[in-house]
Amino acid sequence: MSRPAHPHAMQPKRPGRTRTAPPQLPPQFPMSGRYRAYTLFDWTGLIYLLLGFMALEIVWAVGSGPAAWAAITARFENPVYIAFHILAFVSVIFVGVRFFRFFPKSQPPRIGPVKPPPQPVILAGLYAAWIGVTAVFAFILSGGLSG
Amino acid sequence: MADRPKKKFIVTRFDPETDEVPKTQEYEIPVEPDWKVLDALNFIKDEIDGTLSHRWSCRMAVCGSCGMMVDGEPKLTCKEALSQYGDTVEVSPLSNFPIIRDLVVDLDGFMDKFQAVKPWIIRAKERAVEEGPMRQSPEELEEFKQFSMCINCMLCYSACPVVANEPDFLGPAAIALGHRYNVDSRDEGADARNEVFRGEGTVFSCSFANECSEVCPKHVDPAAAVNQAKFNAVIDWAKGLVLPRGGKE
Amino acid sequence: MRAAIAAVEADPDASVALVSKVYPMRSHTVSAEGGAAAVARDDDNFEMHGYDTVKGSDFLGDQDVIQYFVQEAPKELTRLEHWGCPWSRNDDGTVATRAFGGMSTKRTWYAADKVGFHMLHSLFQHSMQFDRIVRYDEQFVTKLLIENGTCRGVSALDVREGVVRVILGRAVILATGGAGKIFPFTTNGTIKTGDGMALAYRAGVPLKDMEFVQYHPTGLPGTGILITEATRGEGGHLKNSKGERFLVDYDYGVGTKAELGPRDMISRAIIQEIEAGRGIDGPYGQYVHLDLTHLGEEKINKRLPMVRELAKIYIGVDPVHEPIPIRPVVHYMMGGVDTDVTAATELPGLYAAGEVASASLNGANRLGSNSLTECLVFGAEAGRNAITFAKGSSDGEEGPLRAQGEEEAARVEALRGKKKGGERLAHIRHALNDTMESGCGVYREQESMDATARTVAELKGRYADIGLEDSSKVFNTELTAAMELGAMLDVAEALVNSAAQRKESRGAHTRKDAPTRDDQNWLHHTLCYFDPAGPRIDKKEVNLGKWVPEERKY
Repeated sequence: MSRPAHPHAMQPKRPGRTRTAPPQLPPQFPMSGRYRAYTLFDWTGLIYLLLGFMALEIVWAVGSGPAAWAAITARFENPVYIAFHILAFVSVIFVGVRFFRFFPKSQPPRIGPVKPPPQPVILAGLYAAWIGVTAVFAFILSGGLSG
Repeated sequence: MADRPKKKFIVTRFDPETDEVPKTQEYEIPVEPDWKVLDALNFIKDEIDGTLSHRWSCRMAVCGSCGMMVDGEPKLTCKEALSQYGDTVEVSPLSNFPIIRDLVVDLDGFMDKFQAVKPWIIRAKERAVEEGPMRQSPEELEEFKQFSMCINCMLCYSACPVVANEPDFLGPAAIALGHRYNVDSRDEGADARNEVFRGEGTVFSCSFANECSEVCPKHVDPAAAVNQAKFNAVIDWAKGLVLPRGGKE
Repeated sequence: MRAAIAAVEADPDASVALVSKVYPMRSHTVSAEGGAAAVARDDDNFEMHGYDTVKGSDFLGDQDVIQYFVQEAPKELTRLEHWGCPWSRNDDGTVATRAFGGMSTKRTWYAADKVGFHMLHSLFQHSMQFDRIVRYDEQFVTKLLIENGTCRGVSALDVREGVVRVILGRAVILATGGAGKIFPFTTNGTIKTGDGMALAYRAGVPLKDMEFVQYHPTGLPGTGILITEATRGEGGHLKNSKGERFLVDYDYGVGTKAELGPRDMISRAIIQEIEAGRGIDGPYGQYVHLDLTHLGEEKINKRLPMVRELAKIYIGVDPVHEPIPIRPVVHYMMGGVDTDVTAATELPGLYAAGEVASASLNGANRLGSNSLTECLVFGAEAGRNAITFAKGSSDGEEGPLRAQGEEEAARVEALRGKKKGGERLAHIRHALNDTMESGCGVYREQESMDATARTVAELKGRYADIGLEDSSKVFNTELTAAMELGAMLDVAEALVNSAAQRKESRGAHTRKDAPTRDDQNWLHHTLCYFDPAGPRIDKKEVNLGKWVPEERKY
C-alpha cells in the first residue's frame, strides 16, 4: 500500500461524520513515473544554493587581493569541483528546458488588449535570450573584455 | 461464455466500523474484451461481493463520479479499457483524499475549496432578463472555454504533490474554475477572486509539477490555469498598489 | 437547483434544502449533449415553437402548458446566460442556434455538444452563492411524509452514516428525473431509477402517461451511450447496410425533414430497416450507420467534439473517417408524476418538475432540446409556487411526522444486510430489464405487454425475498441499490399497465395490433394509481387549445 500524505490533506472544514482512513500519497510519488523528473527538478535547488555560496565566495576573493584570488582559482583544477560544475550545468539545462516547455501555457490569454505571441515564437524568444545571455557571460568571464 | 479470460483484481477495502486500517481483497473474474475497468467492478458487486462500495453514474466520462487509482494512477474507471492492463489490476481509492469506505473518498474538502473561489458570475449590477443575453464573441468564448470543461472528477487533486502536503492549497480544479470566471468577458469579479488566490490557499504554492494536466481526462490543462492565475494575481496586486480599486480594468 | 434558486430569489426569508442522492454535479442532466430550445431568431415566434411542440407530442400535450413554456423559454435561457453558461456564439456575439428534430426552424441554443454539462455546472455554481440553499448531499429519500393531507417533508437515508433522518419543510419539490434503467439499453446513467416517481406513486399521487417512452434513435449499441441529435442537426445521415439514406429513399412519414424528423418516427424507421434485413451485424445485435464523414474534421471538432471522443473511446470509431454504429435506445420518459401548468401535483405541498413530472409538455413524444428548457421553466415555476404555498401554509404537527420517520428508519434497517443466501439484486434487475425490453419496446403487442405485466408482478414478489450481503452502515451501496430496484419495479408496474390498456398507437407508443391513432376514443391522458391489489387506471382530459389534432405528417 501507499504511504500517508499530510494527515489533513483534502480535509473538509466541518469534521467528517464518520471515521475516515487517512489520505495516501500517490503511489508513484516521489521517485517513480513522471514524479521523478519533478522531484529531481525540485532537488536541483540545492545545487543552485551551493552555486550561490560559491559565487559569493568568488566575489569576496576578487575584492580581497591576489592571494585570495589565487587560492580560489587553484580550486578550479580540483576534479570534485569540476564534476560538481558539470552536474550544475546539466541541471541548469534540465531545468531550463523544463521551464521553457511549461512557460508558454502560463501566459494568460490576454493582458488588457494585448495578446501573447504564438507559442513557437515565445519558445524561440526564450531560447534565443538564454543562449545570447550565456554567450555574453562566457565572453566576459573568459577574459574577452580585458583586451 | 465458455472461455472468457480471467483477470485478478486487488481492491482496497475499508469499513470504518470493523477495520482499523484499509486492507486489500482479491477477486478473480472472467472479463469481456471490450470492458472498461468499471464494468469489472460492477460485475464484482453484482455477482461476487455485494459489499463492495464504489461511486459511478454516467459511464461516459462526463459526470466525474468514478475516479479511482488503477495500478497506481488516477483514472476514470468508466473510460479506461481493461485490455490495456495486465492479468492483475490494482484498484484503490483516489490518493490525497480521506477514505470513507472501500473505494469511496470524502469530497467535502474539495467542495469547500470549490466554493471558496466564488465560482459564479459577479457583476456590479445584475443584468435584467429583458435586456437579453450579453454579447460575447467566439474569440472571447475560446479564452475561457477550455477551463470550463472540468467535470470535478478530482483526478488532478489525486496527482498533485502539493495537495498531498499542503492542506490549505486550493488545488488545480478550484483554481482553474476561479480562473475560468476571471477570464470570462462577462464577469467583473476578478478582484475578489484574486484576493482568494493570494490568500490562505495561495496559488503560489503550485510548483508547476504539471501532474494535474497529465491526468486530466478532459484536457482542461489546470496547470495552465493555475500559472496564468499566478500571473494575473500579481498584476492585479501591482495594479492595486498604483490604481484605486473598483470597476473592471 | 433551478427551483431552489427561484425560491430564494422570490422570498428573502426562504430557506431551501437541496437533497440529492449524489453530489449535484453528478446529476444525469450532465450527459445531455444537443441543446436547449427557445425562440431566438427573427424568423421564429412562440406560435411556431408551440405548434411544433404540440404536433411533436402527437396532440397529447396540454396546450396551456405548452403556451406557457414557449413564452418562458427564452427568458430562462437568457437568465442562464447571465449566470455564466457558455452558449456557443455567432460571429457577431449573439447566441448561436442549430437545427433540431421536429423543429421548423433553428431554435436550439447549444454549447458545443455538451449543453447539459454546461447548464448543470452553471446552475450549480450560481446556486453556491446563496447561503439559504442548504445542500444535503448523498441523502437517499425513502418516503414522502404526509400529515393532514399535506406533504410536509421527507425521510432520507444518510448514505454516509447509514442513519435515516426526517427533513421537514412546508413544501416539497421533486426533480429526480426519469427511470431509463428499467430498460437494458438506455442512454441513462445508473442513478436514473425513478426514485421520485415511486415516492409520489406510493404516496397516492397518480403517474400520468407512463406508457410513452422515448427511444432516442442514435445510441451506441451495447453501452447505449447517447450520440446527440445534434449530429443530425449539423447534417449527419442515417444509412443502412446498402449505404442508402433510408429515411429519404423509403417512406417513413418524415418527408423532406429526413434525419430531422421527430425521434419516435426515426426510431421506428431504424427498427423497420433492421427487420427488413438491411441492418448491419454487430456483437450487440443489428445496427445502422450514422455517417458524419462528409461534414469534415473541422466542423466535427468545432461543433461535435464530444461525439468524436465518445465514438473513439467507447466503440473504437473515428467519425471523421468512418460511420458510427447506432441503434435506438431508451432515453426519456414523457410520462411521470401528474402535474399541471403550475408544477403542482394533486397532493397539496408537493410539486414536480423536469423529467419526473408530466405537465404534460411532451405528450406522447418529446422534441429534442425541449427537455432542458423544460427543467428550467418548470423548475422555476415550481420554486416560486412552492414558496407561495409555504408562506400560506404551516409547519404541521411534528409528532406524526417524526413517527413516520421512525417507521421508515425501522423499515430501512430491516432491509440492510437482509438475508444472506436470498436471490441476488442484479438477477432481479436483469430479469426486469429483459421483460421490459420484450414487452415495452419500440413496437408493442397486447400479448407481450400482458406477459410483462405478469412478470413485473412476479418480480415484485421475488424482490420481497432478496438476499443482501452488506449489513454495514457506512456507505452501504447495496442497500441503496435495493431501494432503487424497489422504485424501478413500481415504475415498471405503472408503465406496463398503462401501456397495456392504451389500445391505439400514438407518438412513442406504437402497437402492431393497433397501428393507428384513435382520437375518438383515446385523446386523453392515462393516469395510473398505486393499489396493493394492482394498479388502478383512470383518465384525464387533455387541455386542447387553438391547435386542433390533425394527421401527423412531416
